[in-house]
Amino acid sequence: MKATGKTGSNSKKKSNYILQKKLTPWCILFFPMAFTLWLKYYPIFSAFFISLFRYDPINPPGKFIGFENYTGLFGMQFYWDAWKNTFVFLLLQLAMCFLTPLIQALLLNELTRLKKCLTTLYILPALIPTSVNVIIWKWIWHPDYGVANQIAKSFGWEPQVWLSDPKLVKFCIIFPGILGGGLMVLLYLSAIQGVSTDIMESAALDGCTGFKRIFYIILPNISFMVFIQFIISVITTMQLLDAPYMYASGGPSGASTTQGIFIYNAFNQDLNYGRGSAASVVLLIVIAVLTMVQMRFEKSEKE
Amino acid sequence: MKKGKSNGHGLGHGRSERFLKTVAVIVSLLFAAVMLYPLLFAISSSMKDNAKIYEVPPKILPDPANSLTMVFDYSGMMFENDEQQKDVMMQDSVLSMFAINSEMAQDSIMEIHVYGIKDGKIIFHSRAHQMKLQMECDYGIYKASAVKKAVLLHEGRHIRACESIGYEYDGNGLDAKEIKFSQEAHDKASAVLAEDFRTTGVLAGAETHVNNLLNLESFRYYLEMPSYIYPKSERIAKMGFMTFVLNSVIVIGFAIIAQVFLCSITAFAISKQLSPKAGKLVLLFFLGGMMVPFASIMLPQLIMYQKMGAYNNYAALLLPFLYPYGFYVYLYKGFFDQIPNSYFEAASLDGAGSIYLYAKICMPLSKSIISLIALQTFIGNWNDFFWAWLVTEDQNLWTLNVALYNISNNMGTKQNAIMGLAVVTIAPVILLSVLFSRQLKQSIAASGVKG
Repeated sequence: MKATGKTGSNSKKKSNYILQKKLTPWCILFFPMAFTLWLKYYPIFSAFFISLFRYDPINPPGKFIGFENYTGLFGMQFYWDAWKNTFVFLLLQLAMCFLTPLIQALLLNELTRLKKCLTTLYILPALIPTSVNVIIWKWIWHPDYGVANQIAKSFGWEPQVWLSDPKLVKFCIIFPGILGGGLMVLLYLSAIQGVSTDIMESAALDGCTGFKRIFYIILPNISFMVFIQFIISVITTMQLLDAPYMYASGGPSGASTTQGIFIYNAFNQDLNYGRGSAASVVLLIVIAVLTMVQMRFEKSEKE
Repeated sequence: MKKGKSNGHGLGHGRSERFLKTVAVIVSLLFAAVMLYPLLFAISSSMKDNAKIYEVPPKILPDPANSLTMVFDYSGMMFENDEQQKDVMMQDSVLSMFAINSEMAQDSIMEIHVYGIKDGKIIFHSRAHQMKLQMECDYGIYKASAVKKAVLLHEGRHIRACESIGYEYDGNGLDAKEIKFSQEAHDKASAVLAEDFRTTGVLAGAETHVNNLLNLESFRYYLEMPSYIYPKSERIAKMGFMTFVLNSVIVIGFAIIAQVFLCSITAFAISKQLSPKAGKLVLLFFLGGMMVPFASIMLPQLIMYQKMGAYNNYAALLLPFLYPYGFYVYLYKGFFDQIPNSYFEAASLDGAGSIYLYAKICMPLSKSIISLIALQTFIGNWNDFFWAWLVTEDQNLWTLNVALYNISNNMGTKQNAIMGLAVVTIAPVILLSVLFSRQLKQSIAASGVKG
């Protein structure tokens, strides 16, 4: 090798150099790509693989049964209940919590002096972990000592058991989000500030001021952002896992069992790895479709 | 933005602008008040004492904290030796403290001082905070036992209790302190001690005063509480709640370092060394990984990690951060694309290798993006609960979220302590976010679309 290096032709050196230049990025990328494959993509394939077996954790993978796990899953009342719960959560989330950050951002944009300090305040909910939120709100919903029942009493309503009531539990879990805040406010705000001042000024000349400006100028101009946030809220709510688990562990009587908790229970309580994996794959497909819709819209907006 | 004012198109416009502004101020302030309520509620609850936290209807503010001082007189009593004299005083001290704590729970007595005097000299002093006494009752020496004289003094428990609470004893007299006795406090205390908790020493006097700082001192004991709840774990017994803080710091710190390094080197290779087409494909490969919902891979991931032995140890907590997150690679790439290629070409001509290009040219230029990625990693993973909860059985390994969830589900734990721990958890983060609010806002705005 050394000899050729010394006496070898220029072209060989050059091709060697180019080869080296082409190879280095792949050498650098090898570690990150291998780890992504191993830690992120492999589990997806293994979920699909496990879902085709009557999985035996002691001597895996157990007996091959094809799509029987899926057919079994679709015949299960619990599974459809979990989907139903997930969709009720979704509807509640969209009805109760989706609009608040938008309103907050629109009004925040009109403020002058308070703007800075309120923006900081609106970030806080994003930094408070769910575990802390759950502790605070569980105490608010507490049937004996909680504030919620005190308020109900002052309105002359019957005291409720809130988180222990299958009818109310979903409402109680979603309700804290109605206070708004979080990163969404900031994203809306930066979108609003991105609306060109030319449009605003010419609209003002035409007499479009006050609330009219919000409805006819700002909202149509940020509708793209609203739509993206809408899809993101749908995607995140479909994956809801931490909050219902920490508030009520999926209960009472399964009323807050979302898809995530269903998967966890299939694995943890029923020890049915195959069924859990089948449910995982179905959820993955649903989320993937939604993500695809989101990406398509993002792309069309860019162009 | 001064709209409306600048156009001067008659009164109508100005009025509608002013109306909007007024509505905006009022509604925004209302939102702010409603959002702050849970936080203030948590802080107020965490400062309430053990009885008032269960008061119905709940009060908005905690009651003023009282400090009770009791003085026992042993003048004229004969003891065999110094040891026995000390033992009797310890008995009286424990007896009176726990009796007052359980019988006068409604009086918000947060602190009890007990003095023992003999022949005009103070020779014994012990001081206990209400939370300390409650912890000994709930998890410590008097766990699962009723507060009765026989129980309190059974088999030298009072010595252990006194040692845990802390006391001073000196037969030659301690530093004296002037105490003004009050008859009311004396009557109340002696009524409690009269029947079931008869002390050897004579209650010479008692005094109460308000000291609201005692409510703040509760937090010190909240932080110690885990060492009482989980006494079997050595690390928690020594460090208390700080164990969980440390675990969270380890996990988040590792996540930040790993993500900053891995994502930057990946993005560097994509942006500066690959052809645009290949770079796009590789970026898609990394981004694709981010679309996978956690709920749908947690199960196979757990099986895989268990097989590797990454279960119930730090490896299980840290491994999930060891691959570059697609979204951060994307952010980095956007930044690196803006660095002119001529920088790199010049260095390459001088014979610099890619490691040199990355470390000496790329990194020093990208301080702003590094802080953005660090912040994003923090915001994104600070809330992680389920994975840490799945893979940790050992209490030593709990992160803050897991610990809070477990402690709050522990039936015996008082609500004020749980709230206190929750407040302790978020206080530093809130403080930092207020201090660095400008950077935080920029970082969020820069990250664009990310829920």
